Amino acid sequence: MFPRSDSQPEAPGYAFGRRISLPPRLRSFPVFRIAAIWEAFLVAAASLRQNKLRTSLTLIGIIVGVTAVIAVVTIIKGLDQTVASTFSSQGSTVFTISKRPQVITSREDFIKFNKRKDVVREDAEAIFRSCTACWRTGIAVNSFEIAKHGDQKYEGARLRAVMPAAMFEIDGVSIDAGRLWTESEGAAARDICVVGPDIITNLFPDVPVERAVGQDIWASGHKYTIIGVLQPLGKIFGASRDNQIYIPYANYEKNFGAHSSVVVFVQTETAPQLEQAEDQARAIMRNRRGKTFRDEDDGFALETQDVFLNLYSSATSNIYIVTIGVSAISLVVGGIVVMNIMLVSVTERTKEIGIRKAVGARRTDILTQFLIEAVTVTAIGGALGVLTGFAVAWLIALLIGFPLLFSVWSAALGVSTSSIVGVISGLWPAWRAARLDPIEALRSE
Amino acid sequence: MTEATVATSQTSSDVIARPELSSDDGKVNLLIAMTDLWKTYDMGAEKVHALHGVTFSVRRGEYLAITGPSGSGKSTLMNLVGCLDTPSKGEYWLNGKNVSDMDDDELARIRNQEVGFVFQTFNLLARATALHNVELPLIYGGIPGAKRHEMAKQALAAVDLTDRMMHRPNELSGGQRQRVAIARALVNHPSILLADEPTGALDTATSYDIMNLFEKLYEGGNTIILVTHEHDIAARARRVISIRDGQIEKDETIR
Repeated sequence: MFPRSDSQPEAPGYAFGRRISLPPRLRSFPVFRIAAIWEAFLVAAASLRQNKLRTSLTLIGIIVGVTAVIAVVTIIKGLDQTVASTFSSQGSTVFTISKRPQVITSREDFIKFNKRKDVVREDAEAIFRSCTACWRTGIAVNSFEIAKHGDQKYEGARLRAVMPAAMFEIDGVSIDAGRLWTESEGAAARDICVVGPDIITNLFPDVPVERAVGQDIWASGHKYTIIGVLQPLGKIFGASRDNQIYIPYANYEKNFGAHSSVVVFVQTETAPQLEQAEDQARAIMRNRRGKTFRDEDDGFALETQDVFLNLYSSATSNIYIVTIGVSAISLVVGGIVVMNIMLVSVTERTKEIGIRKAVGARRTDILTQFLIEAVTVTAIGGALGVLTGFAVAWLIALLIGFPLLFSVWSAALGVSTSSIVGVISGLWPAWRAARLDPIEALRSE
Repeated sequence: MTEATVATSQTSSDVIARPELSSDDGKVNLLIAMTDLWKTYDMGAEKVHALHGVTFSVRRGEYLAITGPSGSGKSTLMNLVGCLDTPSKGEYWLNGKNVSDMDDDELARIRNQEVGFVFQTFNLLARATALHNVELPLIYGGIPGAKRHEMAKQALAAVDLTDRMMHRPNELSGGQRQRVAIARALVNHPSILLADEPTGALDTATSYDIMNLFEKLYEGGNTIILVTHEHDIAARARRVISIRDGQIEKDETIR
C-alpha cells in the first residue's frame, strides 16, 4: 500500500498516476488554474446556498440599488422618447420664420430682435410664390385670451389666427366634430372658429362635442361661432395642447389690425427637402430685407422643431445626471452591505482558509474564491434588480401615462455595474482572506 | 531523483552545488536538511526564541517522531518542517529545494507538492464530501478533473473508505475522518507525511488502527514525521527526536 515510486522506481504499485510535470511558472499561469477557479465557483455557490439569510440580505441590498438606477434610467428614456415624438408631431418637415427666435437667452438679444422688421403675410406670400422646395406655406399669430360662454369662463385659451386652411395640416391637427372652414370662408373674415377639446370641456361642461358645434363663444371682446372641434393632441409636461381657438387670419386682421409680426410656417413634402427649402426661404427673406451676403444677421429667425428638443435636452440633461447620481448612492450602500457580509464570511471561514492554504492554495486562489463569491451574489442581485427596476418604471409609466423603452443596453448596464460593485466591495475582504497566516487560520475555531 | 527535482532544473543545479548534500552518505536520499535553524518571535519588548539552533536531517523513507512537552518548540518545528512558516535564521532544504527564504506562494506550492498534513482535529472541510476533501490538494495542484477523481478514489480505496466517498465529515466516525485526512495527505504523493498528534482526538482502539495504517504506509516507502507528546505513539516510530526549550535534546534510533 502506498509504495513510493522514487524508493522503488520500477514499482507497478504506484498506481496513482504521475505528477503533472509542467514547469511551475507555466502551472501558475491562469489557464492552468481552471480547476481552482471552478472550485472557487463551487465554493461560492455552496456558501451562498448555505447562508440563505445572509445571501438574501446581500441580494436585497444590491437589488434596491440596481432597481433605483434602472427605474430612473428607464423612466428618463421614456420621457425623452415622449418629448421627442411630441415635438415631431409637426414632423421634421416643418420650419418657421419669425421676427424673434423662440428661445432668447439674454436681454441684449431681446432688444436686438425687437428692432427687427416685422414678418408679415407678404413675406409668406413671397415664399409661397418663389420657394420651389416648399410644399405648404402658412402664417399664424398666437395670443392668450380669456374665452367665455354665458357665465362660463376659461382663462387658458390660446387664440391662434391662421391662414390658409392648410395650416391645420401643418399643425398636424384633425377634426373630431363639425368641420374646418373653407378657403373662401377664411378669406371672407367670417366670425367662425375651430376649437380644441379643452375649450369645450371648460365652456360647455357635460355637453357632447357634437352639440357644441354651432354655439357662440367670446374671446377678447369678439364673438365667434364654433364650426368644428379638434381631436385631442394630449399634454406635454402637464400643459395641454388642446386649448386652441383657431380663427381665420383675415378675421384677426379685421378685428385687431395687422400690426403684429406673424410666424411663417413652411412644410416640405419630404424630410430630405427640408434643408433645400430652408435655404430657398432664407434667400427670399434676406432679399426682401435687402440683406447682402456680408450681413451676418438674417434679420429674422428660421427655426425647426429641433430648437425645442435642444432646449429640452439642455434643460433636462443636468437634472438627469443628478437624478441618476442620487439613485446610484443606493448602489454604493448596496456595495457596503456586500463588503460587510463578505467580511463576516471571511471571519467565519478562517479555519477553512487555513485548511485550503495548508494543502496548497495560494493567495490568488483564496482571493479569487472570495471575489467570485462577491461577484456572483452581486451579479444575481443586479439581474433581479434590472427586473424589479423595469417593473417599477412600468408601474410609474402606467400611472403617469407615457410609453417606456426597455433596453437590453440598460439591463446589461445594471448587471455589469452591480458586478463591478461586487468586485470593488469584495476586494478588501478577499485580500484580507488571502493574506491570512495559515498557522493562525488553522488554529482558529 | 524525484520528478519534482527534474521539473525544477534551477534547483537541481543548486543541489549539486551544496557540499553538505554531496558528502559520503548516499546524499541523494537526504530529504530534509536543517542547519542551525532559529525561530524568533518579536513580542514587543523582548524576543522569544522558540527554536535556537536546530540541526538535523531526514532520509527518504524514514519513520521519525518529534516529541517533547508543550512549549518545547515542537509545534514551531512542525510548522517549519511543513513549510507553513519560514525560519528567522538558518537553512532548510526539503527535497533538494531551499525553502528557508521562499515567499508565501512558493511555500504554498511546496506544501501542495511535497508535504501531506495530518492534523489532530482532522481539519476537513465540513461541507465537502470525503472525495472532495481528498481532491482539494489536486485542485490547487492544477490536476484536471477526470484524473483528479481517479487519484482521489484510489487514495480513499487505500485507506478503506471507498464506500464512504460521498459522505460528509459529520456523517463519519473519528477514525474514518482521520483516514480521509490521511488519504488527502497522500493523494498528491508528497515527499513527507507530516502528522501532528494524529491520534489526539481518537479513542485507544481507533488510535491503534490509525497507527497501523501509518506502519503500512512506512512499509510502502513513505517518509513519515510524527509530532506527538505521547511516548507510546512516538515509540511506534523508528527514530525519535526529543525537543526541549527550543533545542534537540535527544536524537535516537529506537528500532
